Amino acid sequence: VQLLWQILINGVLLGGLYALMALGLVLVWGVLNIVNLAHGALIMLGAYACYYLFTVFGLDPFGALPVAMAVLFCLGYLIQRYVLNLVIRAPMFNTLLITFGLEVVITFLAQMIFSADFRTVNPSYAGANFLWLGATVPLVRLLAFGIALGLTFALWLFLDHTAIGRAIRATAQNLTAARLYGVNPRQLYALTFGIGAALAGAAGTLYGVVSQINPYIGSGLTGKSFAIAIIGGLDKSIYVLVGGLFLGIVEALTALYIGPTYTDVISFGILVLVLIVRPTGLLGRTA
Amino acid sequence: VKLASTLALSVVVVGVLATVPWWGSAVLVQFGINALILATLAQSWNIIGGYTGYPSFGNSVFYGLGGYGVAVGMVQFQLPFAAGLALGVFLAVLFAFLLGLPVLRLRGHYFAIATLGLAEVMTAIVSNLEIAGRNIGLILPLVKGDTLFFELSLALLVITTLTVAWISRSRFGFGLIAIRENEEAAAVMGVNTTLYKILAFALCSIFAAIAGGIHAYWITYLDPTSAFDITLNIKMIIMAVFGGPGTIFGPVLGAFVLSAISEVLATKVTSLAGIFFGLVIVAAIVFMPRGFTDLIRRFRQQGWRYFQANIQANRV
Repeated sequence: VQLLWQILINGVLLGGLYALMALGLVLVWGVLNIVNLAHGALIMLGAYACYYLFTVFGLDPFGALPVAMAVLFCLGYLIQRYVLNLVIRAPMFNTLLITFGLEVVITFLAQMIFSADFRTVNPSYAGANFLWLGATVPLVRLLAFGIALGLTFALWLFLDHTAIGRAIRATAQNLTAARLYGVNPRQLYALTFGIGAALAGAAGTLYGVVSQINPYIGSGLTGKSFAIAIIGGLDKSIYVLVGGLFLGIVEALTALYIGPTYTDVISFGILVLVLIVRPTGLLGRTA
Repeated sequence: VKLASTLALSVVVVGVLATVPWWGSAVLVQFGINALILATLAQSWNIIGGYTGYPSFGNSVFYGLGGYGVAVGMVQFQLPFAAGLALGVFLAVLFAFLLGLPVLRLRGHYFAIATLGLAEVMTAIVSNLEIAGRNIGLILPLVKGDTLFFELSLALLVITTLTVAWISRSRFGFGLIAIRENEEAAAVMGVNTTLYKILAFALCSIFAAIAGGIHAYWITYLDPTSAFDITLNIKMIIMAVFGGPGTIFGPVLGAFVLSAISEVLATKVTSLAGIFFGLVIVAAIVFMPRGFTDLIRRFRQQGWRYFQANIQANRV
């Protein structure tokens, strides 16, 4: 029971981070109808931004977070404005392929610039932890979890209570009507993709703190994000959170009872299973 | 007349290609084997991705299973190459059916994403199998002779292309195209969509598995990461889409052109070769979404406006 409790704690803490990873993907998917296969690569870039801000400028990883988000926002904005906007009305397969191509480009650039070595971000408090109800809680993971929750909440506030947020949701529902109300879709799409990329940047920063990074982590993270999006559905950011927690706990249990090499197999299995049994997502509607 | 001239030209091209091992350098022949195998993969992907409109991102699984069929058969059971190849094809077709039954029920992009993780899953599973040499891999008996492998690969590509040509003018193929264009309508017209999709998937798995088997025997070494190589998925899709998905010669043309360019890049500027495929697909989707073959056909009439028209059609 003691062990199970610990595993559950680990799973929940990991799950919060997973939810943040999927959040940007879900936003872009829901609004732009683009399944962004480069999402994981953007997370990877966020992790490297954190790594370099920490090692070169001595910036605390959690202080690096807004910087990484700003950088990724600009990158995302440019990608959407000058590349993806050109193909957004093409069949979904084409947008899928083009983000796939972007993933390849980003990964290879990262490998060239950052080298293929494993990197870790090790702030002085990396090993700190405390006991809570008999389970060990690593401090950085708890912080990462808290920030992930905070950003999820912030996105919800933004989408529900600001003019831009409303414009984004209106565009997702009906582009023509939104246009009639004065929404400039080119700009709005770029903005939405930028926010998605910024969320990926935040997720990457936190991922860099709790795990090792290399240029190839992207595709696996895209897969996980996608699994969470499918489990939760595309409706509300709170559903993404549930999806993330679910996957986090399942992976923690898998690592314990079946073996750590099988975590990816299990999350992929869940993805396929959910797609087949409930193509609309476990909790809500999928586009 | 058009059919006859295409046929004649194809026969001449294949005939010339078949003589390459007798006059070409060793490097050229080895490049040729790789290009032929990639062309076969692109062409087999064309059946499910191009004609049926179900873009699979996991076809390297069939390639890997073919390789493992040959490797396990020859190393663990001392079977001849052909028997190993049959084992590999059997495994791949079995896998195509088992996977296809649930996954092919998903529409277009859901299907694509459900297949994204396949290669990694198979790598994880095979790495834990004793009979497949775990993550160390298997070493196959050595055979000398690039000529043999060149001719084998060429023959396989010809057979795959002939199959695609047959598909493009058969009742079966019309059914697949109907599924691609509008699946509900196809079902209403009496096409057994599930059966057709699974048959298309199984058909493409056969050719990919044979390609994997030939490659494994040629390289004489197989381990999980190289067998289920994820970059192979990238390459075969990009080659097929660049050449023209849903056409008979597009994927082959795409595979040859892109193989040649990436080979030249790899010798001149190594770092550019990796990024090349990514850039090609981004540019191709923006400027020529219907592929190289469509570009050749329309460029003569429209000139540079062809690219502009493509962008205009899809931009926001």
